[in-house]
Amino acid sequence: MTKAIQIDNFSYSYPDGTTALREITLSIEHGRRVALIGPNGAGKSTLLLAMAGFIRGTGKVIIDGLDTAGNLKQVRSAIGCCLENPEDQLFMPTLFDDVAFGPLNMGLDPSQVKERVALALARVGLAAMAQRPPHHLSAGQKRAAAIATVLSMSPKIITLDEPDGSLDPRNRNNLVNLLTALSQTLVIATCSMDFAAAVADTAAVMDAGRVVAVGPAEQIMSDAKLMTSHGLEVPRKFINGR
Amino acid sequence: MHMANELLSVPVAAGTLAVAAGGVGLICRKVRQVISSDKLPLMGILGAFVFAAQMVNFQLPAMPGTSGHMVGAVLLAIVLGPHLAAVVISSVVIVQCLIFQDGGLLALGCNIINMGLVPCYVGYFLYRIVTAGRSSGLRIYVGAMLACVVALEVGAILVPIEAALSGVLAVPFSTFLLTMVGVHFLVGLVEGLITVAVLAYLQQVRPDLVLDALSGRVRLSKKTVLWTLVVFTIIAAAGLSLLASGMPDGLEWSYLERPDQPDFKPIISNENPTISAADELQTKYTPLPDYSVRGSKAAGWTSFAGIVGSALTMAVIWTLASLLRRRQLKCTTHT
Amino acid sequence: MDACIAFAQKAVKMHHAYIDKFAYQDSPIHRLDARVKFIVTIVFTAVVISLPRTSVSILFCYAVGPFAVLVLGGVPIGFVLKHILFVSPFVLVLALTGPLYDKTAATVAFGPWAWQTTVGWLCCWGIAGKFVVTMLALIALVSTTRFEDLLAGLQRLGFPKLLVIQLSFLYRYIFLLIDSAQHILRARAARAVGRIGFRAGIRFAAAMLGSLLVRSVDTAERVNTAMRARGFDGNWRTINRLAVRGRDYVFVSAAAGFIFGLYLFVRPMLR
Repeated sequence: MTKAIQIDNFSYSYPDGTTALREITLSIEHGRRVALIGPNGAGKSTLLLAMAGFIRGTGKVIIDGLDTAGNLKQVRSAIGCCLENPEDQLFMPTLFDDVAFGPLNMGLDPSQVKERVALALARVGLAAMAQRPPHHLSAGQKRAAAIATVLSMSPKIITLDEPDGSLDPRNRNNLVNLLTALSQTLVIATCSMDFAAAVADTAAVMDAGRVVAVGPAEQIMSDAKLMTSHGLEVPRKFINGR
Repeated sequence: MHMANELLSVPVAAGTLAVAAGGVGLICRKVRQVISSDKLPLMGILGAFVFAAQMVNFQLPAMPGTSGHMVGAVLLAIVLGPHLAAVVISSVVIVQCLIFQDGGLLALGCNIINMGLVPCYVGYFLYRIVTAGRSSGLRIYVGAMLACVVALEVGAILVPIEAALSGVLAVPFSTFLLTMVGVHFLVGLVEGLITVAVLAYLQQVRPDLVLDALSGRVRLSKKTVLWTLVVFTIIAAAGLSLLASGMPDGLEWSYLERPDQPDFKPIISNENPTISAADELQTKYTPLPDYSVRGSKAAGWTSFAGIVGSALTMAVIWTLASLLRRRQLKCTTHT
Repeated sequence: MDACIAFAQKAVKMHHAYIDKFAYQDSPIHRLDARVKFIVTIVFTAVVISLPRTSVSILFCYAVGPFAVLVLGGVPIGFVLKHILFVSPFVLVLALTGPLYDKTAATVAFGPWAWQTTVGWLCCWGIAGKFVVTMLALIALVSTTRFEDLLAGLQRLGFPKLLVIQLSFLYRYIFLLIDSAQHILRARAARAVGRIGFRAGIRFAAAMLGSLLVRSVDTAERVNTAMRARGFDGNWRTINRLAVRGRDYVFVSAAAGFIFGLYLFVRPMLR
């Protein structure tokens, strides 16, 4: 069975020479929820960009059986990216337009687009805000809206870059519930171990551009030595066993 | 600096709207073919930047209590190139009119030309001449300074010309022109200083922005440039000859000065039926409404009736609307 | 200096709230097609501007039109008038040049009263009056129409697509950038200790502007990434949402009747 994401020996350096990713090899199966954890500057965001084909490096990145080098249009339909700042993702005058942007670019006709938008907005609980402009939404709503803009394209994989950033506890809980209810494969970069523990079943630890450990979330994140040696901590959920 | 509707006559407004629309339309068409669509969000966001930039103020020298702020047309032309900058500034002017009511709807044509098209192209042209492709520090700053002063001056000069062609204002052309030139020289200097300072900052932090990396390669064909120059020369010549022919304050001024010749024919006859009808209307109205030159009181009473009638109508509309709203509220609260 | 900042901030806050608040309400006016409202506003403005220079009372009659639209649209008139006052300084200055430069004597008859004044003053009132009336019309248009609907209408009326896309992005990110500018200004105010002089003032302002510019460019790159990630390939696709309905025809006929009916009313006053 094809993996959702297959990365083989992928390396990338910025234009000024600094290495961002070193020989990354990672394999993620369909249906998994992966937390990509690591200290600041480890390369998590860069890796997510590589998965969506935004970066040209050495090595292969294969999404749902397609090589990103050369199949960009199909890859971008298969994998949806939620960027770190929802403001960057909500660039249309109304929420409806933003959520419709993806399906329209896929070439669907208006009635199909409207259907997809309605479904995606209902999924994230923002159906009532469809005709509102993005700056009318609260921080939590903007985050949910950003996810809706990706959901409407019916991707198989969704990557999220620090989705829990600057959310208050209530909104964070809503986000956790939303993500755990999704059926897609998820790759979530986050700096919050508690959030990772709440959402993910698999954890991949990154440091200095490398993937240093991959495995079941509970196993990886309860390893105190591993966590602290990479500038992280054991989530509350896994302290004292369970 | 933003022109209001009331300074223009309809023919001048229509003319400038046509010129502005034609210019912007042409630029959009050419740019769309050549520019990568990567630039689209950049243009929009830099337009928003212009708004934000106009909020950042600083103390002016020797003028306590007043502060200056940046206009941004020339900076944008240097960073984006003249064509993209012209589109961006035009969009800024449109939004200023529609959302902030800065400048009238009919004056959009004038405002786009005076503050967008002219400063961007004139400024960029001068900047290019001074820097001549070499991006050494001093040349950039001198070029930017010169570009700002001249570009803003040319834009400012157009305002009294457009107002004079409309003949609405009572100010003599020369006074208006001198005031605008004087004020905008200072404005241009300040703009130049702040533009140079920003460019200096960018040279340190993001030199790639100053080195023309953001502008696309849009080539207007030589023929288009030539034709545009020809059209502009004709317009300028017509305008200047009008002014030079002893009517410094426009067509209507001359009507006003001859109240004893109600059949005075307009000097420039117009084939266009709408404009000649408007002209006829204006010739007929030598006893100007609202006041009686010939002693008839009828005009005074009609205007009185008009105003009282309108006030009553407004009161009725207001009352009806508030009653309706109260009923609506009652209905919704009772369900 | 700080007074200037406070004033500017207050001004922008007023605009901030104003732009959105009323356009998202619902009323018969709000439900009219954007194109129809736009064209009617332009024609209205053109007719008012073309009125004779010294016809002042007729302007009050013309004001009934936008007044009705505003009231039916649920927009508070007091707010609108305050806003008009706020944007009037430049026009008022130019209007006041009338009495300065034109001292031709004139007698004004108004109902049972009559008094002496100059043509210059009449022109002044004329300009001020036209300003208020055309502003009322413009505000009536903008506060009863959502900006995106207005843009869609303009595109259908023939605006270049690039300009419409540009306006769309501009509108979307204006609030964000204005907020960023306010943050920066607040940070500067927090660090300001007394007067700093012109040169230092310019240098600080330039640094703020420069960093705002760089931030804008970076934001634009991220937005572009987001667009590409959702499959954007250069073709801007939108769903058509405008439709001219029966009520639009009613509105157009009412407006035409009002505008041109009043114009004919002016003619008898001219004899």
